[in-house]
Amino acid sequence: MDITQMEQITPIQLYELMLKNHNVLMLDVRNEDEYEAWKIEGKFTPDTVNIPYFEFFENEDEAFSRVERDRPIVVVCAKGGASDFVALRLGEEGIKAANLSEGMIGWGNLYIHRVIVQTPEFEIYQIDRTARGCLSYVLISDGKAAIIDPLRHTEKYTDFLELKEASLALILDTHGHADHISGAPALSELTGAPYYLHPYDGIHPFDLLPAKLVYRMLHDGMKFSLGDLLIETVHVPGHTLGQVNFLVKAPSGRSFVFTGDNLFIQSFGRPDLGGQGQSWAPLVYNTIFNTVVERIPSDALVLPGHFAKHDEANEDGTYSKPLSALWKENEDLSRLNEKETFINFVLAHLPDMPEQYIQIKRINAGLAAPDEDEASELELGKNICALSTAYE
Amino acid sequence: MTDIAFDEQFDARGLMCPMPLVKSRQAIMKMEVGKTLKIVATDKGSVKDFQGWAKMAKDVELLAQEEEMEGDKKLFVHFVKKIK
Repeated sequence: MDITQMEQITPIQLYELMLKNHNVLMLDVRNEDEYEAWKIEGKFTPDTVNIPYFEFFENEDEAFSRVERDRPIVVVCAKGGASDFVALRLGEEGIKAANLSEGMIGWGNLYIHRVIVQTPEFEIYQIDRTARGCLSYVLISDGKAAIIDPLRHTEKYTDFLELKEASLALILDTHGHADHISGAPALSELTGAPYYLHPYDGIHPFDLLPAKLVYRMLHDGMKFSLGDLLIETVHVPGHTLGQVNFLVKAPSGRSFVFTGDNLFIQSFGRPDLGGQGQSWAPLVYNTIFNTVVERIPSDALVLPGHFAKHDEANEDGTYSKPLSALWKENEDLSRLNEKETFINFVLAHLPDMPEQYIQIKRINAGLAAPDEDEASELELGKNICALSTAYE
Repeated sequence: MTDIAFDEQFDARGLMCPMPLVKSRQAIMKMEVGKTLKIVATDKGSVKDFQGWAKMAKDVELLAQEEEMEGDKKLFVHFVKKIK
């Protein structure tokens, strides 16, 4: 793709551009604080300059002097309007610039589907809302599908299942999410497929109110079959009290573990998003160094609920790693494997708790119903569910 | 409701970013120093944009910003004074 010939660039085109090394300059024309709060990142993040759009008519000469003329330029704003305006102004000055259509909103709503495994017996796909670092999964076997941790835009899943000619049999949340609005209740209502959540996450941890949701209750050891696949629930409280891992076994003996916000490729889920960091931090230690060690096969492929940084991805773009490799390559696991060290470190390095996480938890418990604007605003920015977001 | 005095009003309802600011600026440039323009917008993004713009532009001052309801629609009201 030659972006010097493009007037508009779509979110997926920008994503593909950033997969390879490039010489693009990103011109972000939002306000400084909006820019600081949430920037576009990719495997190869462009050099970026932040010049609010009104500087291009209020302080024109200086604004233009800050734009390098010899590189391809992509202009970005919140919704794509102001950036289009600036791209046209640049064009008038003889500077070629492409506008990111739909802006940060469109970028935030981009979902990437990746193949984890495709065999005649079963398929597993990783569905990545890449701007937010949120990962969800579709499992298919014998024409039946399960979705793990579906995100808010349910059509991203229903369209995909239609393409795969699979019918939705099971909707699973690894836990009650704080950073994003779950698509599970809406998918369940839409398709009639049952929604499973651990009941401990059916209580809002701050309001101490029971969820107003139609869901079925998970428990430790609970098993499901999906075609040739066997799914086992492993309760790993700590990030939330109802956090579970789903261990999935194929007839060939291959196994996969969907860890939600328990284990990530780098770091692990912070214990304080329910307001109880002190008492939940030891639980996180126990689940990782006891429950996971004892119950998850070391050759199981770990498939997490988030990534914090793009360099956690494999060469093929997927976020996954065998558990045996994770013990060595996940730096927080290898250096914090002693309980007291672990707890002290965790409590000394808790990231900020975004205020909107409490409201998102209300929505996920059915205690509040946002309109599209509120939902979109609550979900601005990257997740900060991993402990390491505090120090990296 | 406000009791801030204004001299002219610009209706930016229905305009999307960047137009509420672009058009308001055109209107204010035609006004005399010391006069105040009231802008009524429906674009929520205009709130931060007027703040950022007024901070950097030398010839205007953002006197106040308010929210009002018009039926079930939220209005974002800005009062901008031309000071130079």
